[in-house]
Amino acid sequence: MEFKGLVACRAGVGSSLMLKIKVNQVINDNKLPIKIEHGALDMVVGFNGQLIITLTDVAEELAAKHLPQTVIGIKNIMDKTEILTRLNEFLAAQK
Amino acid sequence: MLLDLTSEKLVRLQIEAKDWKDAIRQAAEPLLREKKIKAGYIDEIIRGVEEIGPYIVLTKHVALPHARPEAGALESAIGIATLKTPVVFGNKDNDPVKYMFCLSARDSESHIQALGELTELLGREDFYKLLDRARTAQEVIQYIKNM
Repeated sequence: MEFKGLVACRAGVGSSLMLKIKVNQVINDNKLPIKIEHGALDMVVGFNGQLIITLTDVAEELAAKHLPQTVIGIKNIMDKTEILTRLNEFLAAQK
Repeated sequence: MLLDLTSEKLVRLQIEAKDWKDAIRQAAEPLLREKKIKAGYIDEIIRGVEEIGPYIVLTKHVALPHARPEAGALESAIGIATLKTPVVFGNKDNDPVKYMFCLSARDSESHIQALGELTELLGREDFYKLLDRARTAQEVIQYIKNM
């Protein structure tokens, strides 16, 4: 099964784009079954995928909204190990 | 390309800032002067950090100050700034910030390639070393030309 993830940040034009680039590198390097879209936070409501990936501050804000998706907050967008660990945690929890 | 969005005029080296807000204002000032953004865009960047937190701090010592296109982005552009004394933004994993790339994006797509190149630069140790020792904007732009 392939999962759908949304990389989102407040504006949808900066942090989320750079995070998307790194997340896609990790997904391709490790052949993870996740397809990534990106956008601003207003895309979060109505998003029909299983995963939302953002930066830690934004993740804390989203946690209060009790979204149906798993929310991952990345601390350091250049840290591929952190990104891979968090994506693998998500995938493990889906089994 | 990154070089389409940045230039020597948008580089500010060794800024002396008293706090994170001052750092953002000084890093964004060349974009304002070059009419890449409206003055209100800078206020909007600061408001974003005040509301959500320092989510513009993306990796160790690096911030990407930016706001939504409709907040006053006139033309897509990326400024490059370094701080003489690093400044705390309140991001416990990546503080203090020493390198700032102020982004103006007119839409959500046209600057993707430039941000890809910037992401590549942020993975290079020698880019940070260059930023630390550069005395002129020309040295920084020349490095990007050679990448």
